[in-house]
Amino acid sequence: MLLALPLLAGYDPLPHLFTSKDDARNMDCRRISQAEANALYPGRIPEPAGRTMAGSTRDVLVCRRRFVRLGERPARDEVILTSLRETASDIVQAAVAQAPAGEKLTWHVDAFYPSIEVSAKIAVAARTELAERGHRVSDRVPLLAAGDIAVLARLPAAESYAGACTRYFAEGVLKDGDAFLGIMIVDSRETQLHAGVCVRGEWSWFR
Amino acid sequence: MRSLLAFAAFVMLPAAAAAQAAPTDQQRAQLESLRAEVAAQIQLQAYDLVDELVYGWTQQPPFGLDTPVVLAGVSVPVGFGSGMQALIESHFASVVISNPRSRVILSHCPQCTALVIHSGAKATIVARGVDQPEALAAAGALAGSRHALFLDFEAEGASLVLRARITGLEPSLPIVHAKTLSTSTASPALLRTGDRLKSSAEAHQEYVDAINGLSSFVAPMRIAVRSYAQGDEPLSVPPFIWVQAGFEGAFTQARSWTGGISVGYSYAPELHNAFLIQGRIARLVSGTATSLTRPDLYIFFAASAIDVRGVDAAMFREDVPTPEDIIAAAEGDDPHQAFGAFQIGLETRVKNRIAVGVFLETMPTKNDAPSLGSYVTFGAEFQTAGAEVTFCF
Repeated sequence: MLLALPLLAGYDPLPHLFTSKDDARNMDCRRISQAEANALYPGRIPEPAGRTMAGSTRDVLVCRRRFVRLGERPARDEVILTSLRETASDIVQAAVAQAPAGEKLTWHVDAFYPSIEVSAKIAVAARTELAERGHRVSDRVPLLAAGDIAVLARLPAAESYAGACTRYFAEGVLKDGDAFLGIMIVDSRETQLHAGVCVRGEWSWFR
Repeated sequence: MRSLLAFAAFVMLPAAAAAQAAPTDQQRAQLESLRAEVAAQIQLQAYDLVDELVYGWTQQPPFGLDTPVVLAGVSVPVGFGSGMQALIESHFASVVISNPRSRVILSHCPQCTALVIHSGAKATIVARGVDQPEALAAAGALAGSRHALFLDFEAEGASLVLRARITGLEPSLPIVHAKTLSTSTASPALLRTGDRLKSSAEAHQEYVDAINGLSSFVAPMRIAVRSYAQGDEPLSVPPFIWVQAGFEGAFTQARSWTGGISVGYSYAPELHNAFLIQGRIARLVSGTATSLTRPDLYIFFAASAIDVRGVDAAMFREDVPTPEDIIAAAEGDDPHQAFGAFQIGLETRVKNRIAVGVFLETMPTKNDAPSLGSYVTFGAEFQTAGAEVTFCF
């Protein structure tokens, strides 16, 4: 049997007479065991019975309304931000695996996304994730001269990031002990973040 | 018909489009109200995350010694404004000041967050002060601060995530401390006080202890006054003062349903000796679970069996006393009445310790008693109104 525990709504999260489909879509629900729910919400969920019959296990559906309702932010931003923690974690894990083993690198991170605000969020998430994993991380973002950017901006994405990587090391913006993690969307219609690593002037895509 | 619909669409569409383009004042007010509600929820969760962060620092300080740190930036979730940013900054400052064990000392550095223009041999750079510490150092603007703290909040689905990082203010801008905290879907807000921070586990345990401290069974001792409506007769039943005691159990851990049984006694010299036995069931109406901080409101229903002996018992008779009854009473044979009664009432209870209630009572077998009137007639005649105070042990 399923006990519904809508934390903020106070009613069944499924669409019904008083809950529209939009409201239901804006609930973030997670199924947990009755014992776990009792530990978290002792006043609201009773303790599981001492003895249970086979097939009578109870689950609790813990639901919480999304802070920002779907549609209030641009759809692509919402998709990226909703899964930012998991995405940043995956990217950092893959980036570290991509870097030369046994070398103590200083990581620089930048994100390339149409919205500056979201771009900053992505870069901060990746930097924090790297630092929390014990890597040496710098808050400094490597910059190229305006002429470089003007040329690189005209190239296809696959070439422009590799070109930028070369220029970072050629200009001495990054040095041998540095690694650059770039996170970006390549096509403006996609919601998937791509990433690549630049070490010693060599760019490699890994996502 | 089709042409009529087309005409309606032709007339209404521009109006609908105009309404969509320019929201009315009412829509704006609704939007502001909704935005404020969401911001309040996020703000409380953000406060919790800030508390958790500072508590973590008190347990494992990011620095060995007291270290001046500039709060260089607080970024709020995309879509939220600077008002929330100011609230979080204030809260963070108050929590850090209240917890010196965190080893973080907030330092004032207006140039750190301002745009700074630095012209060098290679280029002229326009950036925030914290992004070019060498320029700040050259200008002597660091004021002893060598670290900048950034707090970044983002609403990720139903979770709020805080990413905090402390950056060394030196040319390479190394991140010396980083921490990510999140309100997971299943963790309720804690709302701890800033000056006595606890870990989330400790705060939750306190909550559990408080809930468990409320025993499922209590022994209520109740003092009640029953006042009877006057009937057609000039004589009326005087108020009865009852003392009741019994036990009460909660059907659920949330104490949303309770039930109990009690016995009562009422005595007035020369007038009556009365006993009652009462069963009662109550439903919490002020929430889904009893509150640890606010009074709880219950609606209750009770059924009683009442036995009255003495002169007052005569007032409950449905017929006029006969001369034989009066002679019998004079000879010491007290009148005696036994009847059933049903109550409905409201009770406010504070922390399951003390309660105050009011009720109406109907005695279906006494509808024809000439000495009894009715306060309210709603499906039944409620001849009794009462109030009670309950102490729970």
